[in-house]
Amino acid sequence: KGNLTEEESHRDPSPQWPENGGDWSDGEDGTNMDCGLLQAMAEEDEEINVYNEETFGMDLDAHKTTQDPSNGGLLQFREPPPPPLTTPPPPPDPKQSSRHSSLSPPRQRPQYLPRAPPGQRGRGRGQRGGLGRGQMFEDPAVMRIVEGRPSLKVMQYNCLKCGIQAHSSPHCRGFRFPMNRPCPSTPQSLTPKMMQLRFGANSPRPSSFYSPSSNPLQHFRYPGPVTQLHPQHKRLLSQKQRIYQRKPEDWDPYCNFMTTKEKEWITKLQMIQLQSENPYHEDYYYQEYYRRIEAKMAEEELGIRSRREPPKLTTPYITKTDAYAPVVHIEGSLGQVAVSTCYSPRRAISAVNAEQKCIRQQRLEVLSKIEKLFMVLLEVEETERMKTTVLSEAEERRLTEKSQEKVEHIYFQLQHHNSLDSGVEFLPFLLVSKGKKLLARLLPFLKHDTTLKILSTVTSNLPTLMSRDPEEALPVLYLPLRNAIGGLTFSQLIGVLKDLTSSESLTTYESLTLTCQNKFGLSLLYALLSQGEKLLSSGVPLEPSIGDFESWTDTIFQVAGQLSQCSLVEPLLLPSNLLTLFCRYLDKRTVHQLKSNIESTTGFLALAS
Amino acid sequence: MNYVPGTASLIDDIDKKHLVLLRDGRTLIGYLRSIDQFANLVFHQTVERIHVGKKFGDIPRGIFIVRGENVVLLGEIDVEKPCDAVLQQVSIEEILEEQRLQQQAKQETEKVKIAALKDRGLSIPKADNLDEY
Repeated sequence: KGNLTEEESHRDPSPQWPENGGDWSDGEDGTNMDCGLLQAMAEEDEEINVYNEETFGMDLDAHKTTQDPSNGGLLQFREPPPPPLTTPPPPPDPKQSSRHSSLSPPRQRPQYLPRAPPGQRGRGRGQRGGLGRGQMFEDPAVMRIVEGRPSLKVMQYNCLKCGIQAHSSPHCRGFRFPMNRPCPSTPQSLTPKMMQLRFGANSPRPSSFYSPSSNPLQHFRYPGPVTQLHPQHKRLLSQKQRIYQRKPEDWDPYCNFMTTKEKEWITKLQMIQLQSENPYHEDYYYQEYYRRIEAKMAEEELGIRSRREPPKLTTPYITKTDAYAPVVHIEGSLGQVAVSTCYSPRRAISAVNAEQKCIRQQRLEVLSKIEKLFMVLLEVEETERMKTTVLSEAEERRLTEKSQEKVEHIYFQLQHHNSLDSGVEFLPFLLVSKGKKLLARLLPFLKHDTTLKILSTVTSNLPTLMSRDPEEALPVLYLPLRNAIGGLTFSQLIGVLKDLTSSESLTTYESLTLTCQNKFGLSLLYALLSQGEKLLSSGVPLEPSIGDFESWTDTIFQVAGQLSQCSLVEPLLLPSNLLTLFCRYLDKRTVHQLKSNIESTTGFLALAS
Repeated sequence: MNYVPGTASLIDDIDKKHLVLLRDGRTLIGYLRSIDQFANLVFHQTVERIHVGKKFGDIPRGIFIVRGENVVLLGEIDVEKPCDAVLQQVSIEEILEEQRLQQQAKQETEKVKIAALKDRGLSIPKADNLDEY
């Protein structure tokens, strides 16, 4: 069928199509290219190349060809020219060739093949024999025939549209993401040009000829601008890259079909999807992991052995009694529950005790609220962390404003739990351990008078809080409250101490006893006393209200009495100026007794007066 | 080389021999030549392996392109490890025949089961709609 010269027919028989695809090339003879559509597609192709280059920074060899204006209807070539092939076309039917040898290819298919201007042949094409490729393709679906590894750029571009979500982040410098309609994961319908790339003559085929990129020791530079790695991660990667060397594989003639560039492209794509504006928030475990590695390495470098052991996980000891229930009893039901089997199905009794439901409902509401407010708190903390990065003043102000709004929102929500119920503010949340954590982390963001309010609530309800704390979560509040105490004036301090000692149901003695036997309570008490001592010894005018000093001294005596008599627990922190305080008011013997009592719990000496 | 340790990437699997199990139950073995961001796979020198009991048969398939969503699992094959001595390779015709017999037997038992359930007034939903969930 094909038109072949005499010399071509004498060549060795080659493997059938498509194995000899490598020797296809544009017709040497001038086949005309008058298809306007092809022209348009080629122009679009060039735009795509430019776009891809800018986005991914791929150094393409195609630079040379893009600048060539006469490179009208040809696809770009990415690879340097392969060495000339000598595999000839399929052996023609001897009878046919003799019959058709007079026909010339261009006249057969003038409308399909593009013109190959004489000076603009694909690289290496000139080295091939003069093959009339037009006659090899009887397939009218073939619109254009080009040589070389087909450019993946066109496919990449479409894949790009499919795979990447529009990421409108001001921090992503210079990325022009196609803000298209959201692309479904199924590939878009292919243009004819694309079809020809993927199926048919120019589909990617294993390198049956030498490919320069099949070097076993490839330099795999990690994808540059699109990655957003933690600095510690970058350091580790660069270290690894230096020592990394791919083991020389046994030569696989089909290996490296996927070029390094293509692999890098995939990696880049995956990395892009990992980018975020808020990495600490969205990719917490990754950030934390590398932060810890960094901290560890820094420690090792400085030669410091961390004194603080990693926090041990303390699980409360809960005795689980094996409850054998011979009879199934659902709470709130009357008597036994009817068991339904597949042979006698029966509806379960659904009546629930109304009162219990209410309590359960309220508790669930509290828990749900805590979760929601926690999310807001995380945002606030994230904003705070972001402020440490260099920001413009306007941005910082805006962030601070937003942050403050959120903080106020959380505070307001915690304060007024149930508008109908005139319950104590904050208390329902404080009774939940996560609520305590929430408040503890919120306190640093609040202003002084609001923290004072919370402090008052805690001290007023201290007995309740201490008794209803099975998980021993109260200590989490200690540090933020201690910071708050550090800002108290004398009057405020007296007020707080009064809250602590006077309770509706308990006498002062009872309250103090409970306090002294609770780690958190005792620590709080110490902190308050310490603050008092600090204020007294500071020399700053105290501006006390009437009766303050009396309350103060009363409290001191009461506390001293307690501390010397009952058994104490070890506090979270023992302030150093406590004994100094006691020395002001008490006699030496009492002080000494106090000292020994306190010391017996802590294991180290209280500061001697 | 995996740039994000702790994550999965197929880049390191390129040019290695793999076994892939597809959602329709087919098992393919071939050299993984190319991938893309959807984990679509290009296999080279692919062979479809059918197992029936202790026998298996290989049908050569050439180049296979698998759409990513159809992969159940994919694993590298260690070419150096000696082949399983327990399994016995048979010809394609034989294995196809065995498979046909197996399918037939399965259908028979299924029929019996459905009939028994029908007697008790029960029906089991077909597995092919469960894919939607």
